[in-house]
Amino acid sequence: MSFRIFFFSLSASFGVAWLAIIIVPYLKMRSLEPVMFDEETGTNVVYIAKRAGRIADGSQIYGENGCYLCHTQVVRPTYAGNDLFRPDWGGFIYDDERGDSRRETNAFDFDGESFAHIGVARNGPDLSNIGVRVENEYAKDLSAEQWLYRFLYDSRIDPKRRNSTCPSFRFLFDEEAITGNASDEAVPVITEEGMEILPSAEAKALVSYLLSLKKDQAVPASLDFSPPTEGGSKVSAKTAEAP
Amino acid sequence: MSTDNSNTTTQAAQVRSGIDRSLRHPVMFFLTSGAAWLAVSLILGIISSAKMHAPGFLDGYGWLTYGRTQAAHLNALVYGWGFQAAFGVIIWLMARLCRQECKAAGIILTAGHLWNLGVSLGVLGILFGHGTGMPWLEFPVFAWPVLLISYFAIVTWSFVQFKVRPEGHVYISQWYLLAAMIWFPWVYLTANLLLHVFPGHPVMASGIAAWYKSSLIFLFFTPVALATAFYLAPKVTGRPISSYSLAKLGFWSLAVIMPWAGMQKLTGAPIPYFIPYLGAAATILFFIPAFTAAVNILRTAASDMEIVSHSPSLRFTMAGVVGLIVMAVAAVFLNIPEKTLPLTQFSMSGYGFEILALYAFFSFVMFGAIYFIVPRITQREWLSRRLITMHFFFSIYGIVTIALVAIFGGLMQGSGQEQFDQPWQQAAADRAYPYAWATTIAWCFILFSNVFFFLHLTFMWLRLGRRSTHPTLLVSGHGDSPHGEEGDIDNAGTASAH
Repeated sequence: MSFRIFFFSLSASFGVAWLAIIIVPYLKMRSLEPVMFDEETGTNVVYIAKRAGRIADGSQIYGENGCYLCHTQVVRPTYAGNDLFRPDWGGFIYDDERGDSRRETNAFDFDGESFAHIGVARNGPDLSNIGVRVENEYAKDLSAEQWLYRFLYDSRIDPKRRNSTCPSFRFLFDEEAITGNASDEAVPVITEEGMEILPSAEAKALVSYLLSLKKDQAVPASLDFSPPTEGGSKVSAKTAEAP
Repeated sequence: MSTDNSNTTTQAAQVRSGIDRSLRHPVMFFLTSGAAWLAVSLILGIISSAKMHAPGFLDGYGWLTYGRTQAAHLNALVYGWGFQAAFGVIIWLMARLCRQECKAAGIILTAGHLWNLGVSLGVLGILFGHGTGMPWLEFPVFAWPVLLISYFAIVTWSFVQFKVRPEGHVYISQWYLLAAMIWFPWVYLTANLLLHVFPGHPVMASGIAAWYKSSLIFLFFTPVALATAFYLAPKVTGRPISSYSLAKLGFWSLAVIMPWAGMQKLTGAPIPYFIPYLGAAATILFFIPAFTAAVNILRTAASDMEIVSHSPSLRFTMAGVVGLIVMAVAAVFLNIPEKTLPLTQFSMSGYGFEILALYAFFSFVMFGAIYFIVPRITQREWLSRRLITMHFFFSIYGIVTIALVAIFGGLMQGSGQEQFDQPWQQAAADRAYPYAWATTIAWCFILFSNVFFFLHLTFMWLRLGRRSTHPTLLVSGHGDSPHGEEGDIDNAGTASAH
């Protein structure tokens, strides 16, 4: 076999796969078709994933500190795993307004990020819906931000979480002397007299990003694969409101 | 007649020693600096692994947080050790197989320093919080053009050597090496261009990173290691490879199947549905190229079991080929969609599989190659068979532990993750605890084994090896001497005296 034939065969065998699973899907996904809320008439508004927070720089801090090595951001459909059956991962099993709001991850959930931190392992829980979990479940007597600041400062401070292996991100916080009134943003942990722990700009961006990870918005019927409810119609379709 | 034969033998020996001399500095540079990066990676790996079961260990320092040390550990292992060992072997093997002296040792050496600079800045970048957050591509963005340019400056000369080689048969190792040398820049350029220069959809970006990781394992490290094993087994035993058509089948099945693998790590993520299934199928089918090559190499070496147990190069290489078989079985076992894939997709099996590929298979074959190449280019023999034996056995203990943890621990952790009616912490997180301990201990064994290797390689690098014509074999020589056969110091005589 000459080098020319070898090179041609090698390029062909690699190139077919390269085109089929990298280049074409990349080009297709680069410009996704917008999805309408009501497809039958097609006259309604376009679905826009609503996210608020410091998404771009928070996502960067998330990547720089390797959060994706232990946390995922994907709720798999039932054929690929049991993520949807967890009561609070892909939404909520008992949502106040919408009943069962759980759904799998869709391609619009990562709007505003340059790289989706799907993640490589689940040494900690999935974070797709962490914003809602913190606000509704974890932060009882603290604000959601303060709860997350305290968790990032020391994940094992809560006796119920004493087995957590999440690292301490103390290096994202500054210990400063209190001058005048104590800061509203001070992390609720015990410190030396006259000192307070303040989040750095990076900690603020990270917490803002984490709180933007929510699965609490109704999605169009074409993106919602949850089974029909007892009434025969889909929950999200029933209560979907055009924004 | 016999004079003719001895003349050709002498001429061939002169060509070989000319090649070895011309490549002495670049190859020794890649092997020693690769070994140094292996040490860095192992230390970072122990720190990261310890944090999995003792989160208070070295806690609270930004540059030592788990998310950075673990990323730095893998990147140092891949780009610091893996690539540099591969470079050393590629340029030496290609020169030997094409019978060409290296005429660009200076450029290769300079490019090697540039590569090391890129890796050093990249690893420091990760540790000081400038990583990109893309698995195996965590080096800050400035690093990839540096690495790519140095790569071309290192391997171009091997392409040239292939082009100007004497007419005749092309050996299977050369196909594997050429393919790896073509696949890597293609894969690396694709990944970096589509992630950094022309960003597309964020989920597809994640898929491309998963494909990159898999391609690096299957389309760079695997063919380089197979080329080496296909060279060493016949060379050391002195017998032709068992079946040449089987070797070709193995090569082309690797080329056709493996580019499709990798995206099964995104099963259930919003990318086109067929891609993860193709990825899982291709990863499972890895057993075809793996088994054909492994059986072929093992059959070749098994023709003389005495040499396998006595020759350090062959013993390490054969252990690596057994590692390849384990890796292929794991690839089948861990990637069955809707059965084991949901359990292993986000468990420690992923990391375990990477370590199986990078250490149990690739690194063992590279150690085999190093034990073969270094005496030839330094013209000194390894000092002590005991150092080699220690390196071998502690590496085996360590990697067997990691393999067990990868397969069983990952499945246990995964089945805990899937128990949706149990609290997360008890079902999934606590279950990983004993396996995290086992991984730490295994890494300690591997570091311990490599201390002997580093020490030994340093002595060789300092030209403190034995000046003898007897290779260091793993048999007890005269009495209790750990230093191989006595005599012939200072190249005074020849082996024929014995």
